[in-house]
Amino acid sequence: MEQLILAAEECDLVENSVCAPANVTELFEFRTPIFEILGFPVTRAVVVIFIVAAVVVALLFFGLRKKAVQPGKFQAAMEGLIGFIRDEVAVGIIGPDGIRYFPYLLSLFLFILVANSFEIMPFINFPITSRMAIPLFLALLTYVIFIAAGLRRQGFRYIGDILWPPGVPVGLKPLVGIIEFFSIFFVRPFSLAVRLFANLVAGHVMLSILLVTGLVSFLSIGDIGLLKSAFGIAWWLLGMGIYMFEVIVILLQAYIFTLLSAVYIETSLHPQH
Amino acid sequence: MEAISGSLALIGYGLAAIGPGIGIGIIAGNAVQAMARQPEAAGMVRTTMFLGIAFTEALALIGFVLFFLA
Repeated sequence: MEQLILAAEECDLVENSVCAPANVTELFEFRTPIFEILGFPVTRAVVVIFIVAAVVVALLFFGLRKKAVQPGKFQAAMEGLIGFIRDEVAVGIIGPDGIRYFPYLLSLFLFILVANSFEIMPFINFPITSRMAIPLFLALLTYVIFIAAGLRRQGFRYIGDILWPPGVPVGLKPLVGIIEFFSIFFVRPFSLAVRLFANLVAGHVMLSILLVTGLVSFLSIGDIGLLKSAFGIAWWLLGMGIYMFEVIVILLQAYIFTLLSAVYIETSLHPQH
Repeated sequence: MEAISGSLALIGYGLAAIGPGIGIGIIAGNAVQAMARQPEAAGMVRTTMFLGIAFTEALALIGFVLFFLA
């Protein structure tokens, strides 16, 4: 909301055809603290993180409180979601011993899902996962967990196993080792974090620009003429189409992050394939 | 003649998006074919398809980040 108002105030549709902020980072930075705790300024991003955590706890608490044999709608939905993560992701990808990693995968999925869905939530309109700190921290958590799982299961043989898949000719070993080392220890966590971050950034920028352009051209219909404002309202309609598309992106990115975490843990536990 | 102006990073991102675009098209097309031929394997095919898309997409996303960095 705050950044929508900011962008709308600076917008001049007489000269430009689209309301774009001069610098994209303006859409993601909140410099003014809402309040301070012990000298630490608390900005809007921090407040949203705590709201996300509270929503996840509330979902799990109210969804699973009664454990009725014939579940209500909300309980059935939560049970479906949790069962999906357990059966399709934790046990389905990792195997029977994946049940140990199920609590981590479930909390990862729910946190990212709720954090992403704040992108299209009215009055919040800010996905906290579009700040690099959050995806990067979650990706590093997965990174530590999958390396620790491999070291715990196989000891230091794990490093050798993961760098040289079985059947690599001796002459190729240095090259394959370098490529695999780079891809596992650098590209994996980086691409995991960047995938989530970039999708949410792109969605947030698109929605802000299109919807604000539509809104401003509707409000300034007298200044810019009927034809140009009709053009602006077409932008708004496109923005609403993308709004629907973002619902899919939100679900899919939460799912893919969880799925890839499970796949990485699985490759650490069973390196032969 | 007027000089062309604009961001070179924008062109870089466009180039980075070509390969993954083609790749994701191939993956999704083949997944649809596989699901049509063997509907009972649809769940497994879908999971593998998302995995493939996620790995292919990474290149475009790195281009996207470089667009902001450049």
